[in-house]
Amino acid sequence: MTLAVSFPKSGQLLAQLHVVSCPRLATRCISTTRVCEKNLRAGQHKITNNRSKPLTYEQAQPPYKIGVTKSWNSWNTSSLYEEKERTSETTVEDVFIRKFMLGTFHNLMLSEVIIKRRQNLIVICGLMYRGIAPRKMYFLQGYTEELLSCLLKRPVRVELQTVESRKDMIFKWI
Amino acid sequence: MAASKAACGVLRGFAGRRGFLLFCSKNNRYVTQARTYASVIQHAVEKIGPIEIEDDEFRVLVIPGHTLGPERKRMERRKQKEVPPPRYKNMSTEQDWTSVWPAAQSFKWSVVPFPVRQGFAQRQENQGMPPGKYANAELMKIPNFLHLTPAHIKQHCAAMKKYCTAWPAGLETDEQCETHFPLVVITRSYLVDSPSIRDARSRIVTFQVKLSSLNLDYHARDKLLRLVGDRYEPDTDLLTITTDRCPLKRQNYDYATYLLTALCLESRKTEPWEAEKTVADMEKYVWDLMESKKSLLQSVQHMKERLQSAQVDTAKIPKYLNELPSTPAEEEVVNLPLVAEYRDAVTRLHNEGEDLSTVCQYKEAVKKLLLNVSAPL
Repeated sequence: MTLAVSFPKSGQLLAQLHVVSCPRLATRCISTTRVCEKNLRAGQHKITNNRSKPLTYEQAQPPYKIGVTKSWNSWNTSSLYEEKERTSETTVEDVFIRKFMLGTFHNLMLSEVIIKRRQNLIVICGLMYRGIAPRKMYFLQGYTEELLSCLLKRPVRVELQTVESRKDMIFKWI
Repeated sequence: MAASKAACGVLRGFAGRRGFLLFCSKNNRYVTQARTYASVIQHAVEKIGPIEIEDDEFRVLVIPGHTLGPERKRMERRKQKEVPPPRYKNMSTEQDWTSVWPAAQSFKWSVVPFPVRQGFAQRQENQGMPPGKYANAELMKIPNFLHLTPAHIKQHCAAMKKYCTAWPAGLETDEQCETHFPLVVITRSYLVDSPSIRDARSRIVTFQVKLSSLNLDYHARDKLLRLVGDRYEPDTDLLTITTDRCPLKRQNYDYATYLLTALCLESRKTEPWEAEKTVADMEKYVWDLMESKKSLLQSVQHMKERLQSAQVDTAKIPKYLNELPSTPAEEEVVNLPLVAEYRDAVTRLHNEGEDLSTVCQYKEAVKKLLLNVSAPL
């Protein structure tokens, strides 16, 4: 360990040396207790003082409740027992599809993008806000289907449902 | 005069923009509030000049960027069409559900006519109620079977019926099927989400056949068992051949067929070198080749000699010794029923292993050979 010696007074330097060689610092350890390792805050929304933050059902459920009170956003066969073919490709494609949907339907997606794969078909669903004219929405739907099926080389179906108001998605306030 | 006319027009124009009213007649020359705009007015007058208007009306001066002649119509946002009520509200109870939900699709709250909830609410969340079907993404995630109702299945069956044939007569039970079709071919097709339907694992082909259905004699059966090794399961009498060497299912199927055919034909053949089979090569305990036979013959011979040379209590010796000639031939001894019984007992003890029944059988056989069982000990 190097110590920068840039103190004009020798007393300060001594004090610094004392701190460095302090036994309390030297005995700092990492905790390996299981209870302390538990991180329950990851992926959860922080509570506001006045409970003014609206959450959807998806956001209200913590990540460890996946498969208990909420289900997965990607449905495919990658996680089946001894399934090794195309698992990584599926994951990367899912990330791409999500980004594509959020960009194409900008500020319109009210739910997470749900991607369901059946045989060679990819079904993308989600709840939309009625922010644009229906014909534009239909255009974007067809555009997404066409472009994604060309990119992913398999048929893609976009099943959209619209919601009257953004408030309809609120499950709770925190 | 022209300049004053223009000034009045300007004032009016400003008044319109600023939102307060300024009244000025043709004869009034200036109004105090307009003084700040004097330079602007001057500039505008020089630039565009007065506007020709009738004497009875107030004049209007148009300044580019500030006032426009007639008030521009504000672009009204097109009113969105009213969204029609959800479809389930117009549904009749007599409708054909198969035409409403013909194929697999995600859950649609506006089409499903029954109330359904999905989700979990703790305490006061969502008024303590699980979320309903409207705007519920959880319902859209899970697979539904609304396209596989009994009505759908009926239609599927009716459509497929023309491709079906009657079940062949004489194959009603599993036993009959096994008799007529002894060979079982197992192949697997893998259904995963992927752009390709090819799967390397689907090439594997398994043949299963019961050895009893191959009509093999003892030699052929023994030879086949030696050839197949651990592919034979003695408990179920099943021979299993699995092939996965070739890249295609069809090729593996052909290879397995070839293997089974070759196995059967080779087992039925008897090669010249098979005559060189020794005791160590025997597949099981054969009493006639073993030391046990020699020992038995020696013992019988010995007992017979002792019977002739010494005075022995004849009541205690086994009766068959008296019936034997003084120097009995091997066949004479082996053909004795007691010896046959002993042979079976020893063979069973070796081939089936030691258990209570085989050991007891062996004990009884030995007692009958060495003692007169009927006499009291």
